[in-house]
Amino acid sequence: MKKYILFFFFSVAILHSNDTKNTEQTTIQDLVKEINILKKEVKTLKITQENNLNEIEEISDFTESIEANSLKDKINFSLGFKTNLDNFSKKYADGTKVQNSNIWSNKLMLNMKADISENMNFYGRLSMYKYWGSSIIHPYTYYDNMQGRVPSDSAMYIERAYINWFFNKGTYLPMALTIGRQPSSDGPSNQFKDNTSRKGTYSALLYDGAADGIVLTTNISKLIHNEKSYLRIGYSKGFGYSETAQDIGNAFVGASNNDIKDTNVVGIFLDTTVPNVKNTLVQISYSHMDDIVANPLENNSSRNTNIGSLDLYGAMFEATNFLNTHLDLFAQLGLSIAHPNGNSYANYGGLLSAPNDTSDKKAYSLWVGTRYGFGEKQKYKIGFEYNHGSKNWINLTQGSFDIYNKLATRGSAYETYLMYVINRHSNIRLGYVNINYDYTRSGWFVGESKKITSTMIGSDRVVENLQSIYLKMNVHF
Amino acid sequence: MQEMKKIILLFIFIPFLNASDSNVIALAQSLNLSAGSKAIVQWERVFKSKKKMKRYKINTLSPIEKIELEEYLIEHAIDSDQPTIAGV
Repeated sequence: MKKYILFFFFSVAILHSNDTKNTEQTTIQDLVKEINILKKEVKTLKITQENNLNEIEEISDFTESIEANSLKDKINFSLGFKTNLDNFSKKYADGTKVQNSNIWSNKLMLNMKADISENMNFYGRLSMYKYWGSSIIHPYTYYDNMQGRVPSDSAMYIERAYINWFFNKGTYLPMALTIGRQPSSDGPSNQFKDNTSRKGTYSALLYDGAADGIVLTTNISKLIHNEKSYLRIGYSKGFGYSETAQDIGNAFVGASNNDIKDTNVVGIFLDTTVPNVKNTLVQISYSHMDDIVANPLENNSSRNTNIGSLDLYGAMFEATNFLNTHLDLFAQLGLSIAHPNGNSYANYGGLLSAPNDTSDKKAYSLWVGTRYGFGEKQKYKIGFEYNHGSKNWINLTQGSFDIYNKLATRGSAYETYLMYVINRHSNIRLGYVNINYDYTRSGWFVGESKKITSTMIGSDRVVENLQSIYLKMNVHF
Repeated sequence: MQEMKKIILLFIFIPFLNASDSNVIALAQSLNLSAGSKAIVQWERVFKSKKKMKRYKINTLSPIEKIELEEYLIEHAIDSDQPTIAGV
């Protein structure tokens, strides 16, 4: 009996063992299958990854080539292009009238920018400004501050070329030195008429033209807790005199000229904004010009001379899109105090004075304007400007873009215009300017300014009224 | 006197009517958006694409914020018309 029982248990054990073996074999086979599937998937993934890596490498090579090309383009150019049609009519004090219409001109500006390093950049502007059908070099082109600023020949003049060197970055008082031919033209509030952003540092009522110099800009925004606040101290050469006969002049390093000194200009300028009001600019300035050269182009030192000095004060405010009303506003005030030294140039007289007159000549000028945008996306803009300068008003706008130097007027000037914005980069403007001169020699440093009367005839004949209807196209890209 | 009062009131309310640039700058910074990182057309593309707006989290902004941000980014894009001022 024991034998049978043992046999039974033994048989059951063997059978159970065989069942387990079969189950294990099945599981292993399944696992092998799964492993094979996974292997295949991994292989596929590897192939895909390799392909992706190859593609990434190709893209990387491509982006590197783009980056290399971008880095190779050390100077970036942008375009400014103006076409003007002016129609002038002048009325002289003696009543005679002269028409000068259908005057076409072009101004080409090639603006340059280079990011030299994180702390240094370069800006430049090459300009050609000429009348249609004429390449005669305008005599004023020889004045340093008017190069590229007055219509002349088809040559390109260097209107701007300067380095900005930033230091103290990230500190409480970041600073920058601007060295070279400065952004001293087309300043505020001329940008409204051109429909561009601010294109110059200084108030256009006081300064407009090319100028070589050095400017220290200190960002005082954190100091006075007001954004976009800058304090600038600048030095510039107004007129560097060169005596052609000896081919030397004190504009040249190491040379000196005891008879005629260079005109040096120093100035201090504060830029700030109205707190919590978007897109505003407030600028307050003072500058001093010493040893003003009577005529920088006169190479006869026995005839040429220094005629005195000038103090120029300015205060301006402007608001773009004031209170989101699409209305732009500006108001500027200038004060000039000339100090003639009694020297005279030829028969013209001294600094804003008659020969031997050394009394100070104080004057002021006011410039106000507005522009309103209307229509879809403010494609149309209407603008109005008015400026009034008193007797003896003098500024440094001899290089202004408008050929009549409107802001130097000793009298009153009105300008109104209608602008159509073609696209983000271009516009066309139809305008009318009317200038009534009250005193003579607007914009001239030399000679006494006199009240214009109808008795000013013959060689004394002066323009009493100037009007222009103009059409201008402005492209900046 | 009445005119004077109006002028004073206008200046008191200006800050509430017209926010300064710093608000939109802060908004751009909070979204890690640098205006100078893209050209005008590229920013325009961002604001035309729902997918891209979502990517930059612009879709979470209010319509006014979106408009202000778009204006700011386009105005300060790398190829935009930048002011030319000494030392800035």
